[in-house]
Amino acid sequence: MTTDLTADVSPSRADAAIDVRQLHKYFGDLEVLKGIDFHVARGEVVCVIGPSGSGKSTLLRCVNRLEEPTSGTIVVEGEDVTDRDCDVDLVRTKIGMVFQQFNLFGHLTVLRNLTIAQVRVLKRSKLEAEQVAMANLERVGLSEKAHVYPAQLSGGQKQRVAIARALSMNPAMMLFDEPTSALDPELVGEVLQVMRDLATEGMTMMVVTHEMGFAREVADRVVFMDDGIVVEENTPAELLGNPRNERTRRFLSMVL
Amino acid sequence: MSATTTVAPPPHRLSRRQRQLLFRLSLYALLVIGAAALIIVADWGKIGRSFFNLDIASSTFPLIVTRAAKNTIIYTLGSFGLGLFLGLALALMKLSPIAPYRWMATAYIEFFRGLPAILTLFLVGFGVPIAFGWRFPGGTIGAGIVGLGAVAGAYMAETIRAGIEAVDKGQVEAARSLGMTQSRAMVSIVLPQAFRIIIPPLTNEIVLLIKDTSLFFVIGFQVKEKDLFTFGRDIANDQFNSTPLIVAGLMYLAITLPLTRLVAQLEKRNRASK
Repeated sequence: MTTDLTADVSPSRADAAIDVRQLHKYFGDLEVLKGIDFHVARGEVVCVIGPSGSGKSTLLRCVNRLEEPTSGTIVVEGEDVTDRDCDVDLVRTKIGMVFQQFNLFGHLTVLRNLTIAQVRVLKRSKLEAEQVAMANLERVGLSEKAHVYPAQLSGGQKQRVAIARALSMNPAMMLFDEPTSALDPELVGEVLQVMRDLATEGMTMMVVTHEMGFAREVADRVVFMDDGIVVEENTPAELLGNPRNERTRRFLSMVL
Repeated sequence: MSATTTVAPPPHRLSRRQRQLLFRLSLYALLVIGAAALIIVADWGKIGRSFFNLDIASSTFPLIVTRAAKNTIIYTLGSFGLGLFLGLALALMKLSPIAPYRWMATAYIEFFRGLPAILTLFLVGFGVPIAFGWRFPGGTIGAGIVGLGAVAGAYMAETIRAGIEAVDKGQVEAARSLGMTQSRAMVSIVLPQAFRIIIPPLTNEIVLLIKDTSLFFVIGFQVKEKDLFTFGRDIANDQFNSTPLIVAGLMYLAITLPLTRLVAQLEKRNRASK
C-alpha cells in the first residue's frame, strides 16, 4: 500500500480493489463504453446489471484487459492496468475470472485444470499446487471429481470447477461474467451458493449477472448500465426496490 | 354414364409395389448378366499367368516385406516427421501478427502445393546437388525424405492451422486470465487440443505419403534402398510378368487399408463425443 495514493485522491481510490475512471471503449466505430466511472472497494460485492449490449461484459473484460480500453484508466489493486509498461500477466494472477462458457481445459483432468497455472505461472511445486487445488475443490463441493475430465461433468459442476480453478491462484478479487447464464435452471442454484459462500468469506467480487435474487441477497452495491453508461447505482434494496431512473424502472419491470 | 363409377385398374397395369420389385430384380439381373459376361469373356488363363503367377509371387518374399515394405514405411515416417515439424512452423507463421511471416508461409504453401511432388523430388534430388556441387546428405533417401517432407509440410500446414483455429477462443482467454503468456497458452492449452482435432486428417496425410514414397524412384535407388513400387517394378521387368506389381500393390493395401479404417473409426468417435 503506497502512501502517495491516499494523500491527494478521494478515499475510494485508496482502498479500491478496482478503480475505473473515464473508460471509453470503441469496437471500430461503435462506442460501447462511453466514459465509465466505476469502483469496487476491497471486500465489496458489486453486481452489474443491464440489458444486452449495455457494455457490462465489456467493462468487466477491460478490468483484466481481455479487452483493450480505448481510453481512460483502470487501477486494480494499486496497479494501473492501462499503463503500457504494466505486466498484465502478473496482474491477471491477482484477478480470478469466471466465464459464462466455463472454458475448462478439456484435455486436462479437473485436478490438472486447477494446478497447471499454479505450476507454470506461480511456479508452485506440484505437491503444493495439488494441495491448494484439492482444498478449493473441497470448497466448491467437488473433491471426488478431481481425476475426471470436464466433458463428464454437468454444467453446474463445470462452473464450480471453473470457480475453484480461479480461486487456486489465490486472487485478490474475482470477476464473474454472467456465470449462470449458460446453465440449465436447476443447476444455477449450486453455483450461486458457491458464490454466496465466497462473498460471506469476504472476497472482493464483481459480478455481471441477470440473477436479481442473487444481487438482492449478496451484493453490497448494484450498478445498472445501459447503452454504455452507468445509469444508476445503489444498494440492492434501493436500486431494485426503489429505482430512481426511468430507464432502470423499465429494465427492472421487464426482468423482475 | 352411371353416377357411381369406380375405375378398376387396367388388368395389365402393375401396382406401385410390384413396379419397385421389378426394378430391383432388373438391377440384380444386370449384375448377374454383367458378372457372367465378364467370367465368360475373360481369358482367365492369361490373366492368371500375367498377374497371379504363384511361383513368381512367392519369389518376391521375404525381401518384399523385410526390405521393400520396411523401406516404404521408413521413408513415410521420415517424410511425415519432417512434414509435421514444417507444417507446425508454417501454421504458426500463418497465424502470426507479423505480416512478412504470413506472406512467406503463404508463398511456401502455395508453391509446394502447386507443383507435382515428382518435380519437387527431382529438383531436390538432382537440381540442388548439381547447383551446389555436393552430394545430398543421406543420398537418394535423404533427398527423397527432404523433398517429400517439404511437400507434406505444405499440405499439413493448412490442416494444423485449421485445427488451431478450431480450438475455442475461450480456452485462450481462460489461460490468459490465469496469468499464462500467449506462448504458454498456445503450447499447453491450444496445441494439445488442436492435435486431438486433426488426428483424422493427419492420418489421411500418412496414407497419402505412403503412396507418394513410390515417387522416390526418380532419384534412383541403390538395391538395398528400394521401396515397394521400385522393388515390384524391377522384378516385374526382370521376369517380364506383372505379378510382382500385384504383390507390391497388395502390400500397399495391407498398410493403407487398416489406416483408412482407423481414420473412419476416429472420425466416428470424434463426432460421437461432441
